[in-house]
Amino acid sequence: MPLATTTQTPDRSAAPHPGGRAVAARTVDAVKVYGTGGTEVRALDGVSVEVPIGTFTAVMGPSGSGKSTLLHCLAGLDTLTSGHVFVGDQELGSLSDRELTRVRRERIGFVFQAFNLLPTLSARENITLPMDLARQKPDAQWLEKVIATVGLEQRLHHRPSELSGGQQQRVAVARALASKPAVVFADEPTGNLDRRSGTEVLSFLREAVDRFGQTVVMVTHDPVAAAYADSVLFLADGRIVDELVEPTASAVLDRMKALGD
Amino acid sequence: MTLQGLWARKRRVIGTATAVVLGVAFLSATLVLGDTLDSSFGAVFRQANAGTDVVVRSATSINTDGGRQRANLDASVVDDVAEVPGVAVAVGEIAGTAQILGSDGSPIGGQGPPTDAGAWIDDPQINPYHVTSGRAPERAGEAVIDAKSASDGGIAVGDTATIRTPDPVEVTVVGLVGFGEKTSLAGATYVGLAPDQAVELLGKAGQVSDVRVRGDGTTSDEALRDAVAEVVPQKAEAITGAELTAEQEKDLQGDFLGFLKYFLLAFAGVALVVATFSIANTFTILSAQRGRESALMRAIGAGRGQVLGIALIEAVVIGAIASAIGLAAGLGLALGLKALLAGFGLDLPGNGLVVEASPMIISFVIGLGATLVAATMPAIRSSRIAPIEALRDAAAESTAVSKIRAAAGLLIGVAGVLVVVTATRTDDGAMVRAGLGSLLVFVAAVTLGPVLARPAAAVVGAPVAGTRGLVGQLARRNAMRNPRRTAGAALALVIGAAVVALFATFGSSLSRSIDDTVSKSFGGDLVVMQDGFSSSGLSPQLARSIDELPEVSETVALSNVVATVDGAEVYPTAGDPKAMANLLDLDVQQGDLGGLPPGEVAITQKYAEAHGLGMGDDLTLAFADGESTTFEVGAVFGVGELLGDMVVNQSDWTPHELRPGNVAVLVGLADGVSLEQGRTAVEQVAEAHGGPKVEDRDQYIDRVAGQVNQLLTLVYGLLVLAILIALIGLANTLSLSIHERSRELGLLRAVGLTRGKLRSMVRWESVITAVVGTVVGLGVGTFLGWGLVRALATQEGFVTFELPAPTLAVVLVLSIGAGVLAAVRPAHRAAKLDVLAAIAEP
Ligand SMILES: Nc1ncnc2c1ncn2[C@@H]1O[C@H](COP(=O)(O)OP(=O)(O)O)[C@@H](O)[C@H]1O
Ligand SMILES: [Mg+2]
Repeated sequence: MPLATTTQTPDRSAAPHPGGRAVAARTVDAVKVYGTGGTEVRALDGVSVEVPIGTFTAVMGPSGSGKSTLLHCLAGLDTLTSGHVFVGDQELGSLSDRELTRVRRERIGFVFQAFNLLPTLSARENITLPMDLARQKPDAQWLEKVIATVGLEQRLHHRPSELSGGQQQRVAVARALASKPAVVFADEPTGNLDRRSGTEVLSFLREAVDRFGQTVVMVTHDPVAAAYADSVLFLADGRIVDELVEPTASAVLDRMKALGD
Repeated sequence: MTLQGLWARKRRVIGTATAVVLGVAFLSATLVLGDTLDSSFGAVFRQANAGTDVVVRSATSINTDGGRQRANLDASVVDDVAEVPGVAVAVGEIAGTAQILGSDGSPIGGQGPPTDAGAWIDDPQINPYHVTSGRAPERAGEAVIDAKSASDGGIAVGDTATIRTPDPVEVTVVGLVGFGEKTSLAGATYVGLAPDQAVELLGKAGQVSDVRVRGDGTTSDEALRDAVAEVVPQKAEAITGAELTAEQEKDLQGDFLGFLKYFLLAFAGVALVVATFSIANTFTILSAQRGRESALMRAIGAGRGQVLGIALIEAVVIGAIASAIGLAAGLGLALGLKALLAGFGLDLPGNGLVVEASPMIISFVIGLGATLVAATMPAIRSSRIAPIEALRDAAAESTAVSKIRAAAGLLIGVAGVLVVVTATRTDDGAMVRAGLGSLLVFVAAVTLGPVLARPAAAVVGAPVAGTRGLVGQLARRNAMRNPRRTAGAALALVIGAAVVALFATFGSSLSRSIDDTVSKSFGGDLVVMQDGFSSSGLSPQLARSIDELPEVSETVALSNVVATVDGAEVYPTAGDPKAMANLLDLDVQQGDLGGLPPGEVAITQKYAEAHGLGMGDDLTLAFADGESTTFEVGAVFGVGELLGDMVVNQSDWTPHELRPGNVAVLVGLADGVSLEQGRTAVEQVAEAHGGPKVEDRDQYIDRVAGQVNQLLTLVYGLLVLAILIALIGLANTLSLSIHERSRELGLLRAVGLTRGKLRSMVRWESVITAVVGTVVGLGVGTFLGWGLVRALATQEGFVTFELPAPTLAVVLVLSIGAGVLAAVRPAHRAAKLDVLAAIAEP
């Protein structure tokens, strides 16, 4: 596994795990229950995962298996029913809404499937949005690098409505990376894109890990997309049922078929 | 299906309906209160005249602010009438005014309802009052007063009280009287005296104010009236009690009640217009958001008419329910207003309200109609959208502003401004032309709203964006993003603010002009004024006593003359022209005001021009006593604001004066006397004459100029309602926008905007919109005020424009507060938004 192969480790607060590897985010016995009584749904049913720094992790599983829920809980967008979530060595469960918001702003990047951008802001303003919200000056060099990598130099002053879907997702990825977060979470970031745009976005996420030492967790349905990752976690009924390291598209497909049985 | 749709959107519907409810409530409250006051006063007059079958009185009368002035009759009429067959009792009434001083020496009442006084009438049927405790007055020095004044002034039976008639007189209160069940006659204060003392203090020897007659029941009132009419002298007339009641009701209609009603109705009108604009904006947004829904319906085969029909049925349902609630609220409001009037001393007989069908129907129909009109335009617009267009379009509403609208608005605006600016080219009709131009400017403002909204929001939002960081920038852009919606939300405020600015400009200009004229023309040092406009005047003796003070060099006692010229009422001032000329600079243009001899009249240049009069011409004044005097124009002066259009010698007025009394005494101090010395001396004299207020020059000028502002306070108070409705519209628009943007807000929260900041963003958007509306409204209103003041100046010749800067600033600050207030609920809802649900929303 290409662990922290570059000198540029953005998140320095990441604590060394007892096991010895630096972990960007992890869950311990994460349980998330929606509803009560007869309508109770255990979206997460005792999930313990670790996301090592500088890795690209894919999360797969059938629809309704709890992928999004896991991502939202890791990203501080949702709270667990029981268990623990850590970003670096920070326990999220004990934080107030205000503190959680701060963590999201400063330590987490998020890319949704669609509607990632504010229509009233230009591409550039969308990218710097989290820093602007924190009233922090973006690291100009880093920003240049991110923008150059996603290839948006010519489009920085356009409004989202003037960008294609692929361009919009690239802006979203750039925004997620712009604050050098501890982890970037992406929930089916290519789900709405054509193959070519999807490939661009995936290559960019890969590059962020390889060249900049970022940490990425991505939910996907697509074995080809999953093949960009360093490892794939398989979820079913709110549990981790399998893990695949150094995946290829066909290996992922085989594993999916096996789980589908 | 329609109703289900309504229920699903109930929050938004409630917002819309509130504006209708308020408008209808105000309208119906106004109408019902009007009916109630009519009927209450009718009841008061009927009750007061219940035992009087016929009244004999002088036939001529002159209308004044304080009611009709009528000459006295010779007392011998009473005996003549008493002998007419069918007459049981004939009473010569002695009526006048007297102000009661409370046990702490301060006057009771006199700020609206009359301060009646008269000879106590023994006949319990003719006398509207009856003794509730103690006994009737029997000799000079004894009096009864109404029980309300007694409790207000802390006076008990057996106490000594002072009454001003206008000279202060001490009386022993031997009894308290009531009117029917009430402690006073609709808030009027009353002093009943023994007849001889009443004649001495209030009347003239050998005269009566009128004769009240009670029949013995053998003939009808009409027959009795005709019989009595046979014996009354020339210049007198006989009417029945019922006719008197009708006449009193009619006078009150034209006077106080009429004013109150039109005043309230005007505001109900403003409230409804503002409400209509608010509703229209809400419906526009609703129908835009529903664009896809209705496009889908049209795609699956619903006709345009059906889509339109659904929208209209919705409007009817909202309008009907809201109007019904408005009616109920209106009744409550009317009760509240009535209680408020009672608090001001207008204690009317009868409990509850007089609710007739017609005001209810009118209010309901207008509320429903306003809702329908407001709903129809956006509904027609949305039904016109081709189905595929709406299905394709992701944005809920097109933000494009049509060029035709911009051009038309600009054209109307330029035309309006031109008309206002050029209105003063010729004197006559300047006001009409300025008014017309104002209307055009207003229409232009409404038309141009969506065109102006974006740049206006950009400018107003700039400081917010500059100082509030990203939150400020987002708020500014949100306010700019849909100019049509921003304009719609701000429009109601534009109207409210424009009306306030218009009134304020007018008020401050008038006030300033009065200040200018008075300070320029009034050369005296002190002024003694009667307090309260319905109180008895100042004793003529007061001026004489002041004049004798060594500290005083000059005094002018002014009396208000009531007369008619060719049937038109005029209100000249009577006094000593020589002293007037010394203390006042009235800008005499022809003749010699100071040397104006009795038999001559001084008139203003303006009056002279309007009536084609010149020096030496004849001018005939007809007085309330039925006498006429022909004066010769002996001087022409420029300043009419101080003394009115005419000045005559006191000696020409005294014979016709029904109740001697001065309205003011102007005082010039002798050389070397300090203001404080002079004031102390004059106050001592005033104290002996009932203690009227003594003001120095500055206080006097402030008060006279401030009277306009006092009137305006009332106007502002009621305009708050219009602004309240505008606020509801703004809050409604914001709520709808929040709902529409929930994904965006969810995203902002996800990437790190705190709840507090989110609320702040909504708040700032609201404030920007509110300030845009207010600034445009104030601008338009001030411009119109300027135009009208200029026109008035050309027509009337004395008004100077004065920018009501403090008022405008206050309105602006209030509007910022209003914006914050309007954002409370929408901001709360935005902050409560579930981040994940917002993002997950399809
Ligand atoms: N807000 C919610 N309320 C109730 N149930 C929910 C909610 N969100 C998710 N679920 C349920 O939790 C389970 C996991 O959902 P999710 O994490 O969205 O699955 P995935 O992203 O893998 O498709 C599903 O059964 C879903 O119905
Ligand atoms: Mg999902």
